[in-house]
Amino acid sequence: MAIESLPLSAVRATLEKGRSPWSLLPPMTAIGLLFYYPLSLIVSQALTSNSGAWSIAVARRTLTSRLFRRALARTLEIALSSTAGCLLLGLALALVVSFVPFRGAALLARTVDAFLAFPSFLIALALTFLYGSAGIINAGLMALMHTSVAPLDFLYSPAGVILAEITFYTPFAMRPLLAGFATVRREQLEIASSLGAGPGRIVREIILPAAVPALLAGGSLCLLLTLNEFGIVLFISAKGVITLPMLIYEKAIQEFDYSAACVIALVDIALSLTLYALYRLLLARSRGGDAAAL
Amino acid sequence: MGLVSNIGSLPTALSAASAETSAAGFARAGIALEGVTVTYRGTVALQALDLSVAPGEILALIGPSGSGKTTALRAVAGFVKPTAGRIRLGGADVTDLAPYRRHIGMVVQHYALFEHMRVQDNVAFGLRARGAKPLAIAGRVAECLELVGMAEYANRFPRELSGGQQQRVAIARALAVRPRVLLLDEPLSALDASLRSSMVDEIIRLHHELPDLTVLYVTHDQSEALTLADRIGVMNQSRLVSVGPAREIYHRPPCLFTAEFLGSANLLPVTHACSDEPTGTAVVKFRGHYLRATAPRGTVRSGDRATLCIRPHDLRVGEGAETDNKVRGSLKRSQWVGSAFRLFVDVNGLEIRADAPRHDCGTIPESGGAVTLHFAADDTTLIPEVHSANGD
Amino acid sequence: MLLHSRSVRVTAWGVLAILFIGIFGLPLLMVFLSSIAGQWNGIFPTGLTLHHYVTAFHGATARHLQTSVITAAGASSLALVIGTWGALANRGRKRAVSRVVDGLFMIPIAVPSVSVGLGLLVAFSRPPVLLNGTAYIVLAAHTVIVVAFAYGTVSSGLARLSSDQELVAASLGARPGYVLWRVTLPLLRPQLIAAASLSFALSMGELGATIMLYPPGWVTLPVGIFALSDRGSVSEASALTVLLLAMTGAGLSLLSLARSRAPASH
Repeated sequence: MAIESLPLSAVRATLEKGRSPWSLLPPMTAIGLLFYYPLSLIVSQALTSNSGAWSIAVARRTLTSRLFRRALARTLEIALSSTAGCLLLGLALALVVSFVPFRGAALLARTVDAFLAFPSFLIALALTFLYGSAGIINAGLMALMHTSVAPLDFLYSPAGVILAEITFYTPFAMRPLLAGFATVRREQLEIASSLGAGPGRIVREIILPAAVPALLAGGSLCLLLTLNEFGIVLFISAKGVITLPMLIYEKAIQEFDYSAACVIALVDIALSLTLYALYRLLLARSRGGDAAAL
Repeated sequence: MGLVSNIGSLPTALSAASAETSAAGFARAGIALEGVTVTYRGTVALQALDLSVAPGEILALIGPSGSGKTTALRAVAGFVKPTAGRIRLGGADVTDLAPYRRHIGMVVQHYALFEHMRVQDNVAFGLRARGAKPLAIAGRVAECLELVGMAEYANRFPRELSGGQQQRVAIARALAVRPRVLLLDEPLSALDASLRSSMVDEIIRLHHELPDLTVLYVTHDQSEALTLADRIGVMNQSRLVSVGPAREIYHRPPCLFTAEFLGSANLLPVTHACSDEPTGTAVVKFRGHYLRATAPRGTVRSGDRATLCIRPHDLRVGEGAETDNKVRGSLKRSQWVGSAFRLFVDVNGLEIRADAPRHDCGTIPESGGAVTLHFAADDTTLIPEVHSANGD
Repeated sequence: MLLHSRSVRVTAWGVLAILFIGIFGLPLLMVFLSSIAGQWNGIFPTGLTLHHYVTAFHGATARHLQTSVITAAGASSLALVIGTWGALANRGRKRAVSRVVDGLFMIPIAVPSVSVGLGLLVAFSRPPVLLNGTAYIVLAAHTVIVVAFAYGTVSSGLARLSSDQELVAASLGARPGYVLWRVTLPLLRPQLIAAASLSFALSMGELGATIMLYPPGWVTLPVGIFALSDRGSVSEASALTVLLLAMTGAGLSLLSLARSRAPASH
């Protein structure tokens, strides 16, 4: 290219010429090989019988089994409860951090961000120390009540899993809320106050409407993540708490029934993708669409 | 920019000439700030502010950025807690009262309409918050929108309105709750210049229709202040520097800062020569010229230094009458500003600015040529050098 | 700005502090206490000791540390390359195409990690490509899971990048490849580092896919922690967890050092 000044359109065209469709090929091949090809095999394995022919027999058997239906119900129950808890808690925390400002509020918000990189089983482990049969609270209660039977055993039940998930996933709900609240202008709150609205009314009529899009986006994200949560359920290993991911693990690793595992995986994936699509839609609506951010 | 003769509509309770507030003034005041000091993280935002606004009066608070005028307004609204001093509204002490209990109305620079509510719901907000009945609300909303000329936009959302329209809705919203005090914080700064003058007329008209409303108007635009206000308060560096009726403060600025900030001024360093009691004038010496100026309040001795303030539009080109002051100098440069010629004249090393009306242009010399400027003693103000600590 | 009286505000802060510490601080404290506990039968641990950490550094668990770090470093590097390449190649394309590509890269996050593991197991357990039983299948799983985050971070950074500097470089005579290497990538440095950090941290903590396909000789830290916890050696498990957090933190700090030396972004 000559080193004289070119018109901008020509320059842009030259830059974009290097952007041929083939440049997308290598990275897409990589994820195609590592993800989509295996995915297609899951589909085919789910729909093949032992003889190798196409059949929905395995699928039908698995999906109608009581084990599966109970796992599905349990998964949804835990996911919905955890999400509700995350939203409530996240809302309360975000309200105080955003609207009752104190020095270090920004630092606090960033610490919350750091939590996103932690493994989830950390929480499960910690809760066993707190609420487990050999944990602090039980030890304290046993001493207080002079018994040798641990009074609190909710940890090894859906309630325990829900508590752990709320603890772990609230930061995911808080982030969009903090961002959404940052857009509420201080002057609106002041004028509302000058017009006679007390704090309760201001939260209800001015702040919450601004939070709804963020709540929807954060809620759908939490729902997706809690639906697929594995580490917490594994570590708590409560009897009778079987979620879909746990079922996949058991079927594949402990029973070597790969076909059944694939069927369940397929259902889980379908559910997840639907929720993910919903989440992206709500996120775009709440922000005006920053396409690739999570 | 004529000064509107709204002074005639002032309540007679106001004392006209005094530039200071009196203790009696506090008792009747619509708004009163008594010794209000506001400190924030080590910086003093307001220093012992004593200010009162009479019921039904518009007081404009002007000053450069950081002078504390917005802090003063926010203190009256209740968003800033004074470190010392009391704030009274209608005689009642509201210093410890939360903003939503003060019964005020507020309009801010960027309108702050509630974006998710329609215009009518915006206006109704305060009424609902105070528990008014739905029927009464609807009527009052219609009335207020009619008052600001926005009745046809009742069903729209703020994002569909222009800046001026949004501000009118914001004013309607503030007035809907029948506040005793209306606080305006630079309400026209975000609007186009051409829109501003019509909005100023709107506000003046509104004030005529609501004579009991006390208004505190904060702005950095002194032409707005001069047009709108009954009285003007000038603030600088967290202090109130001057306060008084608009015309009075403009015509006879009590200190240097006010002279320079409110309108443009030529400030001539002079020495007092002698006083002429009968005519109320003083003779001063300025670089070899002897000039006659309006005598200042208080005693000035011969030889004391002072500053003579004469505004550019009060200077005329030519010899003028016998009794007029004359200064001679050479023309450095001139600018045409539409309504006048702006002349920059060098008088013994000091640059004096004169705004000569267009029809004088025949007498304007070339750059470098000799010019005589004349002005009346009545148009001058003499500010003695040792004045109150506030202004300089 | 919402609450006006100081006492109400202090109450709100108090509640916030309690909730925050209770929810976010307490678990960390618990794990840390357990890791230094000799015995923990009652309310408080007794016999504080560093014994568990010593054990962690010897024997099998020491290898877990190494395995996790190697896997995380490998997966995040691969993910960074694939994700950045994809984000760059997707830039400036027609809206319909770019949204599809975005979706294709981001979907692996939506899907449960267990099924990612299952898929890889099913796909690569037979010839011609037999990865089952090797470390590479674990690496593959981590890369897939983490590539979406890398892609997302770099993509949003690219979206915010104004193309002015690249255009000027091109107008000065630089070839596209040169512009990429000398202008675009350096401008993206903060996002690249952030993407690498996030990927590293997520890979260190990955459990769901790993547990489906780890070979006996390639046990990562989370899997090791689970094994210990399942066996009842909770204190050792806690010590390893603290080490996991420390390793992750160290990796992140290293990367943020590189970030702070990056040229100031616009």
